[in-house]
Amino acid sequence: MISFVAFSLKRAWEGFWRNAVMSLAATATMVLMLLLLAGFWVINTGLLAGLEFTEKKVNVVADLYDNVTPGQVKDLRARIAAMPEVSEVVFVSREDALKRFRDNRRAQGEEDLTRFLDTNPFHQSLEIALTDATLYSSVYDRLVVEPTVQLVKNQQDLVERVLTVTNFLRTAGGVILAVIGVIVLFIIVNAIRLAVVARAEEIDIMRLVGASDAFIRWPFVFEGALVGLFGAALALVVLALGAEPLGGFMYDFFRVLPLTFGSLSRDVALLVFGTGVGLGIVGSWVSVRTYLIK
Amino acid sequence: MILAPPGAHNRTLRSRLFGRARGRSTVEPAVLALRDVTKTYPNGKSALKDVDLVIPEGDFVFLVGPSGAGKSTLIKLLIRDELATRGQVVIDGQDLARLSRRQVPKIRRKIGIVFQDFKLLPSKNVWENVAFALEVTGTPHRKIRPAVDRVLALVGLSAQARQLPGQLSGGEQQRTAIARALVHDPRLIIADEPTGNLDPLISWEILQLLLRINELGVTVLMATHNADVVTALRKRVVALEEGRVIRDEVGGTYHRTH
Repeated sequence: MISFVAFSLKRAWEGFWRNAVMSLAATATMVLMLLLLAGFWVINTGLLAGLEFTEKKVNVVADLYDNVTPGQVKDLRARIAAMPEVSEVVFVSREDALKRFRDNRRAQGEEDLTRFLDTNPFHQSLEIALTDATLYSSVYDRLVVEPTVQLVKNQQDLVERVLTVTNFLRTAGGVILAVIGVIVLFIIVNAIRLAVVARAEEIDIMRLVGASDAFIRWPFVFEGALVGLFGAALALVVLALGAEPLGGFMYDFFRVLPLTFGSLSRDVALLVFGTGVGLGIVGSWVSVRTYLIK
Repeated sequence: MILAPPGAHNRTLRSRLFGRARGRSTVEPAVLALRDVTKTYPNGKSALKDVDLVIPEGDFVFLVGPSGAGKSTLIKLLIRDELATRGQVVIDGQDLARLSRRQVPKIRRKIGIVFQDFKLLPSKNVWENVAFALEVTGTPHRKIRPAVDRVLALVGLSAQARQLPGQLSGGEQQRTAIARALVHDPRLIIADEPTGNLDPLISWEILQLLLRINELGVTVLMATHNADVVTALRKRVVALEEGRVIRDEVGGTYHRTH
């Protein structure tokens, strides 16, 4: 068994270099396809993070009557926070609301007109973040019946429009990634097949001298894995070199998004290696099968 | 040319060469037997019709016939590259139709096959080409070297062992292929037009080599178009035409004698 594996590995290595042109062509194809796949994976991850960020922006704002006491606020806040749909409840006092308005005006470079006001026109309010934007209406329904609540801003239409767009983008991203995946699959398998077909005569001789299927198949399977391994390693080197400028670009593009590049680069490395080696093996397995015993 | 007829003493010669005596392991008296074999390809082309052929151990048989007569199909059936549509193909006592996939390579090791186009690997030298047949069948390394050296000596290529096929003459390439066919110590050598690419003088050399191997007790089936050789040797001749055996005579000639 060990000698069989050693034999297959040795033959795979020899085979790779004996047909260097075909092997390198297959490896180059592998590198390009893996880069394509990894690129779209990164873009899709960025897109998903962006969508999640957008959906997190959806919250329910409930204005309270001015005469509601801090005790009542605390009570209401606790009851709302206990709802499973709610992730966070923030109380905004009248003073906070005024201050926030002034800050916004200043940030926009607009003149602050509130200094001409005699009284604070803002209401105290609760800002409720949702675990999921689709749960908007159930939280809304719950709040409107509260006696201490003066007004709940109904943003249902807006929420639905946001959700329509984000769901569409999410599906589109998934579909594009899947299509790219299928294209990559076919091109890589085809490149490996060409490398195997170039050695049809060798396989023929092996068959004629009485080599068993395993002795014919495994060297090619290992060779396919080798192409995948080389391809993946090269693709990752290219990605690592490109990560710094690419990461900067991604950050500039999505600006405020809390993208975690740590887990992303791990995912991409796994994706590239898994796809490369996996398709190398599958490609040669399928390609050699044509030549085995009928 | 003096050639001893195959006889009882040849078994001893062969034993001496290959290092072990070979007893008959099955009840089947022939190395090769076809019974009522018909082969029709999936496209409807009928390649062989009701072929009966028995070749006893130690025979030297010429298979003749025009192109398309069914010679190649017959050879494909013998190495179980194709299965007979009807009838029975038996090699060394085993019905090829009943072999499991795992047993197919084992039966192929009992057959050495030689082609018109040699089928050598251009990137491997003579020694490696012969050793290849043993490596890919899982032969232990310590057994490969003596076996390869022995068959190369037998075909007279010891001096050319390190040369690549491209550096050899056609005759030497074919002798390399014959060495590779012999290295498994086969019971049967099938030669498919082995002299088709060679000039007459070299063809005779190859033929003498095959005769010598036959003298050592290996059964030889040689498909050929070489009328001179067939007629001169007066061996058993099986003639195919349109998929049927039209003639099977010992001491025959290439063309039908009227």
